[in-house]
Amino acid sequence: MNPHAKLICTLSLITGSTITISSNHWVMAWTGLEINTLAIIPLISKSHHPRAVEASIKYFLVQAAASALLLFSSMSNAWTTGQWDITQLTNPTSCLLLTAAIAIKLGLAPFHFWFPEVLQGTSLTTALLLSTVMKFPPMTILFMTSSSLNPTMLTTLALISATLGGWMGLNQTQTRKILAFSSISHMGWMAVIIIYDPKLSILTFYLYVLMTAAVFLSLNTTKTLKLSTMMTSWTKTPVLNATLMLALLSLAGLPPLTGFMPKWLILQELTKQEMTVTAVIISMLSLLGLFFYLRLAYYATITLPPNSANHMKQWHINKHTNPMTAILTSLSTTLLPLSPMMLTSI
Amino acid sequence: MALTVTLLSSAFIHSRCCRHRVLYPFLGPLLTDSVSKLYSSYRRPGSLPEKTPSWQKFDFSFKKGVDVLKTQLGLLKKETKDHLIGPEGRPLNEYMLEQTRVVWVFRSQEDLNKWVISSDVEIGGKSEVYLKLGRNNQAALLYGTLNTEVPRDGETKYSGYCSMRSKPLVGSFAKKKYYDWSNFNSLYLRVRGDGRPWMVNISTDPYFSHHKDDLYNYFMFTRGGPYWEEIKIPFSKFFLSSRGRIQDDQHPLWLDKISTLGFTLGDKVDGPFQLEIDFIGLINDRAHTEEFAYETYERNPRV
Repeated sequence: MNPHAKLICTLSLITGSTITISSNHWVMAWTGLEINTLAIIPLISKSHHPRAVEASIKYFLVQAAASALLLFSSMSNAWTTGQWDITQLTNPTSCLLLTAAIAIKLGLAPFHFWFPEVLQGTSLTTALLLSTVMKFPPMTILFMTSSSLNPTMLTTLALISATLGGWMGLNQTQTRKILAFSSISHMGWMAVIIIYDPKLSILTFYLYVLMTAAVFLSLNTTKTLKLSTMMTSWTKTPVLNATLMLALLSLAGLPPLTGFMPKWLILQELTKQEMTVTAVIISMLSLLGLFFYLRLAYYATITLPPNSANHMKQWHINKHTNPMTAILTSLSTTLLPLSPMMLTSI
Repeated sequence: MALTVTLLSSAFIHSRCCRHRVLYPFLGPLLTDSVSKLYSSYRRPGSLPEKTPSWQKFDFSFKKGVDVLKTQLGLLKKETKDHLIGPEGRPLNEYMLEQTRVVWVFRSQEDLNKWVISSDVEIGGKSEVYLKLGRNNQAALLYGTLNTEVPRDGETKYSGYCSMRSKPLVGSFAKKKYYDWSNFNSLYLRVRGDGRPWMVNISTDPYFSHHKDDLYNYFMFTRGGPYWEEIKIPFSKFFLSSRGRIQDDQHPLWLDKISTLGFTLGDKVDGPFQLEIDFIGLINDRAHTEEFAYETYERNPRV
């Protein structure tokens, strides 16, 4: 991509995110979201492949509709209450509309259908941006309005997301779609706790970003777009293959890896709120994802494929390995002992 | 649908007798004297005239509805069970370790029913194409006569094509399903042709309508002898075309979402043709390392 265009897109992404997370007025929050949407469109369609163009159109339509719904909810709140403050969202209809708008933005089920397709159509780096940076402003809006949101609706969205994220991720053969469904499942976990403990939801988000970035950067190093490539990547990068598996298991929430921490804390908080049934259901649903990741880890690391790697990109690694891969992978597997610190701060 | 058509046509008729001033701006288009339909009435020369309106073709039989519902629920149950087993209903280790797969094999009429044949008759041409099982039900025989005579409708310039295309996969409740060929890198065909050059077309059925005519094509040159040929076509060789025009901006075929495969004959030679196909499969050719055969140079090099 033209370096000037890339710079403008990147700066616009940072600007849009900053505007949204630091805004008090609904129109500024909406402006930031729109800037983000527009800035990422050229990055998604960078390769001009028909699938990338399709992904960018889908992304634009979905996000524009969600932004319009968000603006409508804020307008209806302003109509009834006379003010545009984000933290003063009091009209019940506005709250419902806002929840729906943010659910569409985040890819919470049942508004998740666009997410795997968009992620599949983009490169791994852009998919990383879509899964992490683009989710940050809507999460912030949820955090700021958490006291006004409908608990029943959020719990329902969360349980459906966890179900669909686990169920649909079971038989995926493309790594980007696997991570898309893992993202949907994680958003479900974040949505279930946002009302009762918003800070825990933000902690979950930060750890999710950490683990997802580790996985995406590892996949980007070996250009692993499908499972068969993952199986033969041990010939070139055996250690990276092993750490990638650990990072995926951390995403699935297996102790003693980092990913277990947010799940444990969320289950603890749900139990404190006397939502034990919800806690049991959501933990059972995360077993679906865990099953798949364990099966994948078994076939990718323990099974020796009867063939060598003939995937060209695995023999020629043109760019140097990003040092952040090592740092993020280490953090995504070893942060569980920090849990006592988290327990005291949230 | 029927109600809408009746309402619109009756609105036009009644508008002449009662014109409310309030509704005038809204009924403007209906109050004109010109008659316009909801759909075009142009009919291609090869197609049959439609005498029954579309809303009269529905069969409101309750028993048929219940049967269809039972069939679809059965399909849904099977899909759920297959989902638990692994990708496309097979265990994951089979998916991970496979190196060849037979996708279409022609041994019975049921296998032939998965394909659709067409020719230039649909634009008014005179080619003929037929599909039947070959000797001893061991292959499919696609045969017919190509005729390049142009239909005299004033707008068609070229004619003379015959094709065979696979039907897209359909799941329960008419959901679209796709083939996932990402484990493989070549198409493997066992055919016995007659020396004519065929074109293999792969369609990925994109989501938006501006890509709906996108096809990935490559040529299959048959030998014509009494011996069977095994032709391997790597997917890296397929080039992108849209409505028959090769695109300037070429992109490799993505194998994770394939909808249909087809064979077309359009070599501008009048006369009979014949193609026998034993099976169509996929192979992961370990010796083939090419990612994409076209446009691999850097298009905006740094000076």
